Amino acid sequence: MAAAVATNGAAVAADWPGRYHHIDQVLDTPGPRTDPSFQAGDEVKEFLRDKCKILVIGAGGLGCEILANLALSGFKDIHVIDMDTIDISNLNRQFLFRSKDVGKPKALVAAESIMTRVPGVKITPYYGKIQDKDEDYYMQFNLVICGLDSVEARRWINATLVNMVDPENPESLKPLIDGGTEGFKGQARVILPTISSCYECSLDMLNKPTAFPICTIANTPRLPEHCIEWASVLEWPRVHGDKKMDTDDPEHIGWLYKTALARAKEFNIEGVTYSLTQGVVKNIIPAIASTNAIIAASCCNEAFKIATSSAAYLNNYFMLIGTDGVYSFTFEHEKRPECPVCGGEAVDLTISKGMTVDKLIETLVERQDIQIKKPSLSSPTKQIYFQAPPQLEEATRPNLEKPVSELVEEGGEITVTATSLPFSLSLRIHYT
Amino acid sequence: MLQNESQTLDEATMSIQPDSKTRRYDRQLRLWAASGQAALESSRILVTAGSATSTSVLKNLVLPGIGHFTILDAAPTTPADAGNNFFLNANASIGKPRAEEAVPLLRELNESVDGVADTRDLEALLQTDEGRKYVTSFTLVIAHNLPAKTLEQLSTLLWQDPTYPPLMVVRSAGFLADFYIQFHEHCIIESHSETAPSLRLTKPFPALQAWADSTDYDKLDPTEHAHIPFALILIKEADKWRAEHGGALPKAYAEQKAFKADVRARQRKLDEENFEEAEAQAVRMWTEKAVSSDIQALLDAPPVDPRSSPNAAFHALLQTLRAFVHDPAGPGCLPLTATLPDMKTDTESYVRLQRMYKEQARVENARFKELLKEKFPDLPIEEAVVDAFVKNSHHIKLLRGRPFGAFDRDAEALASALQIFPKETATHLAFTALSALLARGTEVTAEALTAGVQDLVGPDVELPDELDAAVGELARAPTADLPNTAAFLGGMVAQEAIKLLTKQYVPVNGYCVVDLVDSWTGTVGAPQ
Amino acid sequence: MIKIWSMKKNEDAAAKKRPKTSAAQIRVQKDLTELDLPSTMKTVFPDPADLLNFTLTITPDEGMYKGGCFNFSFQINNNYPHEPPKVKCTQKIYHPNVDLEGNVCLNILREDWKPVLNLNSVMVGLQYLFLEPNADDPLNKEAAEELRKNRDQFLYNVKASMRGGAIKGVQYDRVAV
Repeated sequence: MAAAVATNGAAVAADWPGRYHHIDQVLDTPGPRTDPSFQAGDEVKEFLRDKCKILVIGAGGLGCEILANLALSGFKDIHVIDMDTIDISNLNRQFLFRSKDVGKPKALVAAESIMTRVPGVKITPYYGKIQDKDEDYYMQFNLVICGLDSVEARRWINATLVNMVDPENPESLKPLIDGGTEGFKGQARVILPTISSCYECSLDMLNKPTAFPICTIANTPRLPEHCIEWASVLEWPRVHGDKKMDTDDPEHIGWLYKTALARAKEFNIEGVTYSLTQGVVKNIIPAIASTNAIIAASCCNEAFKIATSSAAYLNNYFMLIGTDGVYSFTFEHEKRPECPVCGGEAVDLTISKGMTVDKLIETLVERQDIQIKKPSLSSPTKQIYFQAPPQLEEATRPNLEKPVSELVEEGGEITVTATSLPFSLSLRIHYT
Repeated sequence: MLQNESQTLDEATMSIQPDSKTRRYDRQLRLWAASGQAALESSRILVTAGSATSTSVLKNLVLPGIGHFTILDAAPTTPADAGNNFFLNANASIGKPRAEEAVPLLRELNESVDGVADTRDLEALLQTDEGRKYVTSFTLVIAHNLPAKTLEQLSTLLWQDPTYPPLMVVRSAGFLADFYIQFHEHCIIESHSETAPSLRLTKPFPALQAWADSTDYDKLDPTEHAHIPFALILIKEADKWRAEHGGALPKAYAEQKAFKADVRARQRKLDEENFEEAEAQAVRMWTEKAVSSDIQALLDAPPVDPRSSPNAAFHALLQTLRAFVHDPAGPGCLPLTATLPDMKTDTESYVRLQRMYKEQARVENARFKELLKEKFPDLPIEEAVVDAFVKNSHHIKLLRGRPFGAFDRDAEALASALQIFPKETATHLAFTALSALLARGTEVTAEALTAGVQDLVGPDVELPDELDAAVGELARAPTADLPNTAAFLGGMVAQEAIKLLTKQYVPVNGYCVVDLVDSWTGTVGAPQ
Repeated sequence: MIKIWSMKKNEDAAAKKRPKTSAAQIRVQKDLTELDLPSTMKTVFPDPADLLNFTLTITPDEGMYKGGCFNFSFQINNNYPHEPPKVKCTQKIYHPNVDLEGNVCLNILREDWKPVLNLNSVMVGLQYLFLEPNADDPLNKEAAEELRKNRDQFLYNVKASMRGGAIKGVQYDRVAV
């Protein structure tokens, strides 16, 4: 972290006259579509360059581009999280990495590379998982940009940022800008947690991963992919037992390839290659520098506009298809009322310290504004009362007699599910 | 268990593991394959300035592995350049030649790419024969924010001869941009269309028809019945329909619905997925034509003499394709594609069907090659190119271009574009007006830009409201090369360059307009 | 920074803080507490606090597998319901759609899974396999062959296997109750 220390505090000195000639043109003057609240001039520059703290999640295909764009745009305090190390197949697009960096953590190499090239910017890398960090960590940022290839990680950070929104604290709302690419296609979107459509709201827009019927794989293979899946899904566990398949281990891929090839031969199927084997078992998605550059630029551009108010920002989804000409579609993705993360209702409920769980359920069922039948209740850490299945009902039945206050602290949350609810209801419990 | 095997596996994997170049390019080879990569590697690209946008474009071309690039730029690095260009050594580059500072940092990205800095002046080069020869010696020329006069000279030069390189003209200011590819024609064999090629189910070749005829539903056991390929089901159903409807296939919606219901009614059990597939694929029976309208338009266009075209092979193949379609001994349609989609059936039937298609495709490919030889006996065309053409004949593309600026001089086209695509057209015209103002050294104001646009379209054309948004942004930041706009264009322009160089996928034809305030893109001024 | 909070003021219901439970967790709670299982199916949680790992027991009261008790392990990950639950039969059983490793051929567990489906649909689908074994898309080819060609022999094999017998050299687990 020597570089970080060296540049820290030297930020202002590094700003040579004329450095921001280009950017200042849009920070000194509003445009026709700029919000009237825009404070042209020093105030906005000071916020961008001295105060704004931004988090980049992912230092891969999008992340490398995002870091460079943010640094050149004048963001000076940038944090980056990535749990991966550099692979040779990253080098065709992840432009902050060289052959000699293969095997090193992406976050560290990327941060180092940007700080060397762009004086005065401080990049704080974290080599690890986003789940390692808690709300206090995420609370320190003004904005979050995500360049991830995992649905699961995106769902996690989305839910975390939505959950962090505290109606008493405006600072708790962190705009989330999310980008993704696949070959010549990509999308960028702006999520204002609890205000606009969130990642979970659009989960059904995702392409589902290709999966072949297991009986086809087992008995009627037709495609080379069927033979490869046979090798990885059925043969690997049969032959190797509990030994975990490592798709990054060339020896394992080699075994899968040879096994798939033998099966293909047996069934007169053509087309099993090493590269296809890798593609199928690792679920490789084609990725190129140019698409990543477009989507990352779009994300950073939105971050810049949101941080500076210098122009209207994306509302809220930009989709690009570059296979046949340049086709893009900008639209507002609607918030889903029954979204399990940002939808549903939240109700403040004040009860007496002595009220039992049983009585609480009765109250919920009776309340006209909720109209709930057979509710099941849980707190973030434990089950309170489950209507079914029988074993869990039995296990939680003793809680019915207990006072709620014994199970939920003041201001704590209860998640209520019931058949009569579209998804769930959350209660925030207060005691008289 | 793996331990014992690993000895032999080690040796085996050593030999089957791809080489380091293949591993490095793995994620892009899955898009354009070795043929596309070879085309990239043989390209030589000239970029006429070392601006942030230019180096962003180059970054996205050096990474995938073009052969060579030259940055032609006489300018020294300014403090502003050092602030917005990642491929300069920040303030340490100030005062030094921009091209010379940028080239080594770009070359660092990919050791196999050759790059050169040329600090001569483009405008001076364009005045000499030697200079013009040099400029036209590249595979592709990319020009960002070139002064109007230089751009005029450069685009005129590169249009003079169809063998000269295409020119990509990029203009940007603040949050807005547009770019255009100037080419005479662009021929694409591998367009990677996502529409499925014809399986020729309405007109099966003899072996396929014979198989369908010999399939008797009543003689099949339940497992066999549940595994008849949908192709056979549809052929049989079509035969039956034709017999009952005077030889015609379903046309009206009600007929189509009835046909699908007939297919579904053949299901013995509800979960016979092959019949569900047949129902879903029935649309092929009324949408597939012998020759699709796009390809028919290519066949109907006046033929180009291959001897006088830089795309000799493509035009010869296109004319052969027409001969093939009209060949009395041929199928009367485009050559059969051997690629079969997956379908619910058993391995044996699928492999049998696949072999049938392959065999028929081989026969038609051979016939195509005979016709090619008859028509163009002396024209050498690589066999792999012919094979690719025949295989992709359902999706070939031929784009015809216009010189840069022709759209701006076409009053009729402009007036119509302003009505249909007001914001895209307005933004494009605002850029043309901006170049003119900057060339004259006049102050850039919204009013001056609007007046410039009015001059371009003529006094009688009413300007759309959307123009205010465009001219306002340009007046706000007339010379700003914003890092994010530069990066966005860097991706877009490189992407189109890759499509152009590999002759795969379809590049944009017309002016691609970008607005990063409301985050949209659009295309106007495509040649009619 | 844009003034997001001013937009926030106009929002009413959503302006409440949401719980910390993950979407997958809530969804599993919803699925489990709304299970509507017949008496032939029972869930068993080795650790009642862990809703993501449990066993389903099916004891068919009709059909060829009547008299057997079949166990399936359910593993649900945090990407549920984007990804389906992982389900395996924990016994070695003689069934056309279950292989000797416990893999189950049920479309909604793989290629036809979608997030609108739930645990109830999966369980009902599993039970259906015991009522109507499918011989046309088999995982255990020999069992399927037998079912197709000689139903009586198949039934005999099922009974024998459920008692822990061997069929064609394969020893099956005793699952008879």
